[in-house]
Amino acid sequence: MHKHFPVNCIVPPHILTNIATKGTDGQKNLAISTLKTSEQMRGQRQALSEFSAAAFRVAVGGKERVVYDAKNGSSLPGTIARKEGEGATADVTVNEAYDGSGYTYDLYNEVYQRNSIDGNGMRLDSTVHYRVGYDNAFWDGEQMVYGDGDENLPVSERLFNRFTIALDVIGHELTHGVTQFEAKLTYSQQPGALNESMSDVFGSLVKQYNLQQAATAADWLIGQGLLTENVKGVALRSMKAPGTAYDDPVLGKDPQPGHMKDYVNTLSDNGGVHINSGIPNHAFYIIATELGGYAWEKAGQIWYVTLKNKLTASSKFQDCANLTYQAAGELFGAGSIEQQAVQKGWAEVGLPVDGGGPTPPPSDGGGCLEALLRLVGAAPAKR
Amino acid sequence: MQVERIKFERTGGFAGMRIAKDLKLDDLPDEQAKTISELLDDLDFEELPEQMMNDSNMPDQFTYTITVETNKGEHTVTTGDASAPEKMQELLELLNRLARNQKKQ
Repeated sequence: MHKHFPVNCIVPPHILTNIATKGTDGQKNLAISTLKTSEQMRGQRQALSEFSAAAFRVAVGGKERVVYDAKNGSSLPGTIARKEGEGATADVTVNEAYDGSGYTYDLYNEVYQRNSIDGNGMRLDSTVHYRVGYDNAFWDGEQMVYGDGDENLPVSERLFNRFTIALDVIGHELTHGVTQFEAKLTYSQQPGALNESMSDVFGSLVKQYNLQQAATAADWLIGQGLLTENVKGVALRSMKAPGTAYDDPVLGKDPQPGHMKDYVNTLSDNGGVHINSGIPNHAFYIIATELGGYAWEKAGQIWYVTLKNKLTASSKFQDCANLTYQAAGELFGAGSIEQQAVQKGWAEVGLPVDGGGPTPPPSDGGGCLEALLRLVGAAPAKR
Repeated sequence: MQVERIKFERTGGFAGMRIAKDLKLDDLPDEQAKTISELLDDLDFEELPEQMMNDSNMPDQFTYTITVETNKGEHTVTTGDASAPEKMQELLELLNRLARNQKKQ
């Protein structure tokens, strides 16, 4: 992919970092691509994380999207249909993939200060019109891939629309990329269901952020608009009420549980990764609505920090409960309303937090500010 | 070699919905049975490795399990969207469609 110039091995990363931050646009671009290349060669993530995402945004423009058209074949990525900065095409699917990956970039960049999937400005590639009658979308480790649904069937028999139609599906796929670069959750059993849930959570947040919707106003549906009018159902999953998204003679009933007592043990679907994700999904919904306001601000922040810094490849639901509780304490203070909301959310899905620290004090209007004041000695110590 | 029966299962995918179909070729319209036999022939199905999923860690892709029974025995192949050979796409598409129609009846 990248060409390797000898300069990679000569100029120390800290000097490149300076150039990337302070140089002319041309210098910045060169320095950044050099840094990225040498990062990949030497596997030094640290040097890159040292300079701010802001430097990347300025220099490489940050958001860089390419949408490809597979023209109903299965070869990836296909032929280029729209590149960053180009105007809308006549193909609505291409435009949805372009806009949707842009909105996803915006949430991660503006809210979580993350420059793209890898945190280093990785280009967002999407392929649309993948195969014929392909009612699915997936992340292949490097890019997003979208099918057109049941376009090969008569209208009266179609169950699925094109998969780019739902913004949260696009956010879902890109978040698989983020997870791949961060927690690296194994795609099987509980770690796999957590991987899925992270994608649903941030997919839904992409949509909510785009609509500037408060937690209580959001539909908390995954894939709303994806099912045709031939199907009795509103979406593929519901974070608000897992198991209620559809109930249809052809598709069957939404199998998602919203509580550990209904956990589904199965070998199929990598151990039910798209089924049991309903449990952590619902916990997030409870926490976000408990806190009110915009879900991406507090609940989303807690989840993002947990995904980035705390979860590991083998983490299970209980780990996620404990670690989000820990993250909430670090971000907003021990015993803060945010931390209490996290505790409540997990308890309601049958995963009470354990080993998470002190019992929260009675609600006293604490939170971030109080924790901060306590830290500098301006508020009484915790009871 | 005579294909007698084909069992197909698709699991996973974004929606996590399972579809499956057990087909006796004798019960199919001649044209369809012929197409399936030809597609399997073309693929040298019996020669395919049983496990063709080279990356099960690929989020949201479908997993396909195809078992073909012939007068000589049976052979099962498991594959995914990215690992399925180009030549298998037409077969997968056809089996998908047949599996879905069955559910509708």
